[in-house]
Amino acid sequence: MIETVLIYGLVNSVTLILTAIGFSLTFGLSGIANFSHGGLYILSGYSAWMMMHYIGLPFALAAVLTVIQVGILGGLIYRAVIMPVRGIVLSEVVATFAVGVAILEFFRWRGFVTYDFNLPLFIKGSIGIAGVFIDYQRLFIIGIGLMLAVILWFFTHHTRIGLALRGMAQDEYTALSLGIESDWAATLSMALGAALAAVAAIIILPLGIISINMGYDVLLLALAVTILGGLESTNGLIVGCFILGYARVITGTYLGPEWMEVIYLAAIVLVLVVKPSGLCGKSKELEERV
Amino acid sequence: MLKINNLTVFYENAIALNDLSLEIGKGEVVGVFGSNSAGKTTLMNTVAGLTLHMKHREQRKGGERITIIGELNFEGENIIDTKPSYRVKKGIVLCRERHPVFRDCSVQENLKLGGYLRKDSNLGESIEFVYKLFPNLKRLSLKKAGMLSGGEQEMLTIGMALVAQPKLILMDEPLLGLSPLMQEEVVRAVREISKQGVTILLSEQYARPIMPIVDRGYVIENGTQIVSGTGEELMDNPEVKAAYFGM
Ligand SMILES: Nc1ncnc2c1ncn2[C@@H]1O[C@H](COP(=O)(O)OP(=O)(O)OP(=O)(O)O)[C@@H](O)[C@H]1O
Ligand SMILES: [Mg+2]
Repeated sequence: MIETVLIYGLVNSVTLILTAIGFSLTFGLSGIANFSHGGLYILSGYSAWMMMHYIGLPFALAAVLTVIQVGILGGLIYRAVIMPVRGIVLSEVVATFAVGVAILEFFRWRGFVTYDFNLPLFIKGSIGIAGVFIDYQRLFIIGIGLMLAVILWFFTHHTRIGLALRGMAQDEYTALSLGIESDWAATLSMALGAALAAVAAIIILPLGIISINMGYDVLLLALAVTILGGLESTNGLIVGCFILGYARVITGTYLGPEWMEVIYLAAIVLVLVVKPSGLCGKSKELEERV
Repeated sequence: MLKINNLTVFYENAIALNDLSLEIGKGEVVGVFGSNSAGKTTLMNTVAGLTLHMKHREQRKGGERITIIGELNFEGENIIDTKPSYRVKKGIVLCRERHPVFRDCSVQENLKLGGYLRKDSNLGESIEFVYKLFPNLKRLSLKKAGMLSGGEQEMLTIGMALVAQPKLILMDEPLLGLSPLMQEEVVRAVREISKQGVTILLSEQYARPIMPIVDRGYVIENGTQIVSGTGEELMDNPEVKAAYFGM
C-alpha cells in the first residue's frame, strides 16, 4: 500500500507540474496570466491526432511539430491579442480566455466530441517496482518531467536569452536600459509557456482520451496550483504540486476516490487562509506597506 | 557627441523639462545639477528612451499623458523617436537612479546581462575590467545582487553599463545615499571610466563631491537651465554656490 502511494504520488505530482508549468512560467517571466492555457493544451492533443490521422505522420514527428506549432501560436497570441491591452490585467485575462474558449468551442463545433480521439503511448507495457505495477508511459512522464526541469534551469541560468527573460521579469526598466525589449521578452515567454503546454499534452493525453472539457479543467488546475505555490515562484509550484499530488493519492487510497477532488479545494483554501501569498510567494502587500 | 535641442517633456499637465538645450562633447564629463524634481531623472530617461517607452505603454492603455518634444542629436542622428534598445546599440547606456539591479540574479549574471546586446564573445574581458575597477564586486560575484549594500549595487549598476561598452554613459545620481568613502570610490571609478575614452553625462543634487572630475556643468531648475559653465565658473556663481555646493 505504502509503495503504491509513494510511486503513484510521484507520478501524480509530476503530472500536475507538467500540466501547470507552462502557465506558471509565462506568468513568472512576463506577468501574463495566459487563460488560453487549457485551450492550447487540448489544441495540442487534437493537432497531433490530426497530423497522424489526416496526414499520416508518425507520432514522434507529429509530437515535435505540434510543440513547435503551438509554441509559435503562443507568440502570435501575444502579438495579436495581448499586446494591444498589455498592462491592463483584466483585459489580458479576458482576451486570453476568449482565445482559449474559441479554440475549445471550435473543436466542439467541428464535432471533436466522440471517444475516438486519443494519442498512442510512447512505450507500451508495464513493470513491477517494489511490487507495484506501473506502466512505462507513467515512468516516461516522470523522466520527461525531470529532463524539462534540467533544461529549463539551464535555459534560464546559462543562456543569454534565458537570463534576459529573468532580467525583464525582475526589473523592466533596468532591462530596457540595457537593450532588452519588453514585447520581445513577453512574446518569447508566451511561446515558451504554450510549447510547454503542448509537451504536457503530448505525454499526458495518451493515458486517456482527449475531450474538450478537459481544457477547462487544465486551466483551472494550472490556476489553482500556481496560486497555491505562490504566483511567480517556480519552487512554490513544485512544492504545491507535490503536496496536491500526494494528498490526492493518499485520499484516494485510504478514504476512497470520491474524496479526491475535495482535497484539492480543501488544500487550496487552507493555504490561502494561512498564507494568502501562497506557499513560496513573497508577501507583496506587506513590502509595499513598509 | 550628443546635442539636446529644445527638449520639452510634459507629464499630463506638469512640465518636467522646459525647452532644455545642452551639449555633450566627445570624451567630456558633463554634470547636470538640480534639486528634487528639477527634471534630472526625466532628462536621463528621455535620453535613454525610457520616457518614450513609458509614453507608448500608456498610449496602449488609452492615455495620452506624456508629451516629448525636441531633438536628441546623437552623432548626427535624431534619436528622439527610437527604441531604448536602438540607443543601447548606438552606444548610449543609462545607470538608473537608486541602482535598481536584477535582485534575484547573481552579480555575475547581472554583469552578463549588461553585455546582452554585444555580438562579440569577449564579455569575460569586460567583466574582468569591471572587477578590476571595483575589486569588491569580484568577491561578491556569486552573491544575489539584492543582498548587496547600496554602494555595492551602485558599483554593479555602473559595472553593468560598462559591460555594454557604451560610448556615452548616463549616470543618474550615482552618489545618492552613499557614504563619503563609497562616494570617493565611485568618483575614482568615474574618472577611470572617463580615461578609457567614454563620454559621461551625470546628474547630482549636491555637486561638491563630483565637481573635481566634471569638465562642464549645467544647473537646472523646474526643467530649465539656469546656469552653465566649467566647474570653476559654476563654483564662482554665488547663487549656485549657496544652492548646490553648500558653501
Ligand atoms: N512618471 C511620472 N509621472 C508624472 N510626473 C512625473 C513622473 N516622473 C516625474 N514626474 C514629475 O516631473 C518632475 C521632474 O521629476 P524628475 O524625477 O525628473 O526630477 P529629479 O530632478 O530627478 O528629482 P530627484 O532629485 O528627486 O530625483 C517632478 O515634478 C515630478 O513630479
Ligand atoms: Mg531623479
